[in-house]
Amino acid sequence: MKRRWIAGAIGVLAVALAACAPGGGASGGASDGGDKADAGKVTLSLWSWRVEDVKAYEKILATFEESHPKIHVEFKPFQATEYNNILATGLSGSGGPDVAQLRAYGGLQPLVEADQLLPLDGKVDALSGFDAKLLEGAKGHKDGKIYGVPFAYQTLQVLYNKKLFGDNGIQPPATWDEMIAAAKKLKAAGITPFAVAAGPDATWTLPIVHEIFGNARYGGTAFRDAVLGGQKKFTDPDFTASVKLVKDLEPYFPKDVVAVKIPDVQALFATGKAAMYPTGTFDLAPLLKADPSLEIGVFQVPPPPGSPETTPVTPGWADGSFGVNAKSAHQAEALELVKWMATPEFGQLYATELKQLSAVPGVTPSDPLLAEMAKNYAANGAPYTLLVDFRYGQPNGDAVFRDELQKMLAGQTGPEAAAESVQKGIEQWFKPGN
Amino acid sequence: MRAGRRAPGRVAVHLLLWGYAVVALLPLVIMVLNSLRPTGEIFTAPLGLPASPTLHSYRQVWTEASFSTYFLNSLTVTCGAVLLGTVVSALAAYPLARYDFFGNRVLGAYFLAGLMLPIRLGLVPIFYLMDSMGLIDSLLGLTLLYAASGVPFCVFVLSAFYRSLPGELDEAARIDGAGEFRIFGRIMLPLVRPALASVMLFQFVPLWHEFLYPLVLLRSDEKFTIPRGLSQFFGEYTTDWSALFAGLVLATAPLFVLFVLATKQIIAGLTAGMSK
Amino acid sequence: MVQARELSAPRRRAARTGAGRRYVPRWRVLAVFLLPALLLYSVFIVYPLVSALDYSFFEWRGIRQVGFAGFDNYRDLLGIYPYDEQLWRAFAHNALFFAGTMLIQTTVGLLFALLLFRYGRGKRFLQGAFTTPYLVDPLVVGYLWSLLLNPMFGPVNALLEAVGLDSWALPWLGDTRTALPIVVLVNAWQWVGFPMLLFSAALAGIPAEYHEAARVDGASAWQAFRRVTLPLLTPAIGVVSVLTFIGNFNAFGLVYAMSGSTGSPAGSTDVLGLLFYRVAFVEGGVEAIGRSSALAVLMFVFIFGVSMLATSYFRRRERKLV
Repeated sequence: MKRRWIAGAIGVLAVALAACAPGGGASGGASDGGDKADAGKVTLSLWSWRVEDVKAYEKILATFEESHPKIHVEFKPFQATEYNNILATGLSGSGGPDVAQLRAYGGLQPLVEADQLLPLDGKVDALSGFDAKLLEGAKGHKDGKIYGVPFAYQTLQVLYNKKLFGDNGIQPPATWDEMIAAAKKLKAAGITPFAVAAGPDATWTLPIVHEIFGNARYGGTAFRDAVLGGQKKFTDPDFTASVKLVKDLEPYFPKDVVAVKIPDVQALFATGKAAMYPTGTFDLAPLLKADPSLEIGVFQVPPPPGSPETTPVTPGWADGSFGVNAKSAHQAEALELVKWMATPEFGQLYATELKQLSAVPGVTPSDPLLAEMAKNYAANGAPYTLLVDFRYGQPNGDAVFRDELQKMLAGQTGPEAAAESVQKGIEQWFKPGN
Repeated sequence: MRAGRRAPGRVAVHLLLWGYAVVALLPLVIMVLNSLRPTGEIFTAPLGLPASPTLHSYRQVWTEASFSTYFLNSLTVTCGAVLLGTVVSALAAYPLARYDFFGNRVLGAYFLAGLMLPIRLGLVPIFYLMDSMGLIDSLLGLTLLYAASGVPFCVFVLSAFYRSLPGELDEAARIDGAGEFRIFGRIMLPLVRPALASVMLFQFVPLWHEFLYPLVLLRSDEKFTIPRGLSQFFGEYTTDWSALFAGLVLATAPLFVLFVLATKQIIAGLTAGMSK
Repeated sequence: MVQARELSAPRRRAARTGAGRRYVPRWRVLAVFLLPALLLYSVFIVYPLVSALDYSFFEWRGIRQVGFAGFDNYRDLLGIYPYDEQLWRAFAHNALFFAGTMLIQTTVGLLFALLLFRYGRGKRFLQGAFTTPYLVDPLVVGYLWSLLLNPMFGPVNALLEAVGLDSWALPWLGDTRTALPIVVLVNAWQWVGFPMLLFSAALAGIPAEYHEAARVDGASAWQAFRRVTLPLLTPAIGVVSVLTFIGNFNAFGLVYAMSGSTGSPAGSTDVLGLLFYRVAFVEGGVEAIGRSSALAVLMFVFIFGVSMLATSYFRRRERKLV
């Protein structure tokens, strides 16, 4: 009864307004007409959250169109912060994407569980050659099927300003103590040792900072497997000790670190006021874009004293993937596109144009610094476990941890209590041994 | 004697008012100044005077972000929505404030209720609603949504204004035999003109800035409103702070023009309507 | 805003104002007035929002509704760590946010309206200047104030240090004690033009005879304000209070721009709007729609209840006027 009333109201209103709106009704037909001119040509819509990559993607996709003359790809980027919702609604409505950039791990699950994506198992052969760790990020957590072709992975290391290191007679540290000595020396010289932000826009980077300095201390992959298997918890003394490292390093962070934002530390590092920048591969391209003359080196953090791991550990994770809309009207063509995205041709273009680490096996980055970071990860890689394994339920492991780390730096909690909160948070949904 | 005692007080009042005016205008000054400085300068010193002012960023935003298209779309959508919203609200607020009928209070609460939910909440259902009406990627759809979103605020404020008008006005007119619509159009509406101007202004501003719904509902570049278009542009030029500020100045400038016109209306209306 | 003309017979007159006994219309007249707004508002705002509230009683898998959930989403929201703690913390911050904003914005707005009431040259300019912060997008306002208050590059601290007040150069938005008050101040700064304009309009509506009558009675300026001006501003104060209350309990843009989605630092500026944003959009996962809708229902019930009480309180005050 009520429904009918509303439907009637909508009808009346729509007719009334369509009648008086100048040219309002003419919009629908335009694109259809355009298609007919190019008989048989299919236009695919590709959605992404990388607004900053428009030009690069247009170049990459032009190569695809050369070898696939029947397909035209339209790249549509959306604001990253709102992308998840735009994609969830877009996939279920009209005018949605055919191929879409997908978040990894936990972020992918809402789309998978709503049956909005096409499983790619058996459809994209090249996926069998991909690194199993990276494919993990493109899988449905419950059904284990693959829903996307991974495009990139991120790894976390410490970037350093070569000139500042040279001026102060510092070498990339081989031991934890050397690193602390270097930090002391830099601080005495009036230079911020570590460009770390913990301000309002930077809370998500705090677990990253913890990973960079503390992964070896808590025991890397072995600890992660023990937590997943139920033999260990985040309240483990090794994990607590790793959290404490962040607090111990605070004197070498910028003053009032809780008020410092990401652009502030980028500016500090880019202008030579800070010497080391613990961050991920994702920051390299914007840094070099801001100042191409900056001479950057990279090192892996040496294991802190007392670490279960005796070699450096380099954390990483799969960044995301490209998947196919289950409702796409052009599924065959969309599959063509994602198949191409699993080829070295795409991988190489992606790595070169976007200065990122391609997930396609066998692709080496042309940028020497990126190549070094990739080599480090290949040798000492370990998962950033709170992101990789603990985003499958609410609250997200890294979300709780990020708040706790900021509280710790603001002097409102200690390492033990922070670790306890993380454990308490994930226990709301996480059952070990699955 | 009396004047002498008041003089220091007067100076304090002047100081307070003009001092606060500086604080109120500060961020705008920063926006304009930074839009005239190259990005490198802003990067090293986020606040400062331009060493050598340049309009380069404005040229860039205007051409590369096809700002003129966005501007026209924003103007169409916002003006259309504010007009439609205000007209229907001015009509609806009147009986709520001045007629006695069954359900009056409930209806008033019904209108007010729309103000109390985060508009983001309706994202998914609004998307489906628009989709079912074929209003995805349509400026008309956005206009209707915006117009409707202004209704609760408008009805609430306007009914307060209608209520405050003296009761003799319509009673006398009714005795003279005037019809209800005539009373409304000839007597009541002119008296709430200053309120209409304020209400339109206070609707216009948030709608002009709204970016979430255009982001979800618009798909093609030629239909983008300013916030939607600029969010894209800012994303593409994340590190170009100068262009960002220029974009913000261009996006806010129309509001200033409108505001100057509106205050004139508000004040003119005040003196005309209230001095009787 | 004005009920009576003569102080001598206020009560008799007040009975005949718009707030008093009213005309009973024919329903066709009523329909012409009400239907356009009702239609537009019901279809595009009420229908979607009611659907969204309805979502809170279902179980969700992403955007797919899988079954009736009863009050499970509410139970999760009130029972799952850390939401259980964050909900009350955010609520308390909203209450402080409202109290602070109301106190500053209303008194300052009223003060400016009074000072400008008889102000000569520059009145329009000043009114305009005080209202301009409102014209800038809250997200941009938050961003600009973060720049100004930045402990590393910001001019506020540079200025304090320049005049020797080094100990006052706090990290402002990075200190759990100062962050919320700063956000409140900036919010009041942005919105002060709204009460100022409304109060100016109301002041302009108070007939000059009232003030004269009070002066003849020998009332001091304060007494005249307290006994004549303030009561006549009641409707305007009511409108400002209710709208500020609703706006503050839904606050999002400015807080987000100044404190991020987590209410930095250490959650000291976390408000319900941010919590909703986090649950619905940032980390909601597969159950985001159900849980965020449940949160919205709780917010709505509270805001609606209080607003209704407040409106009826101010209505009664209006009726008792003079």
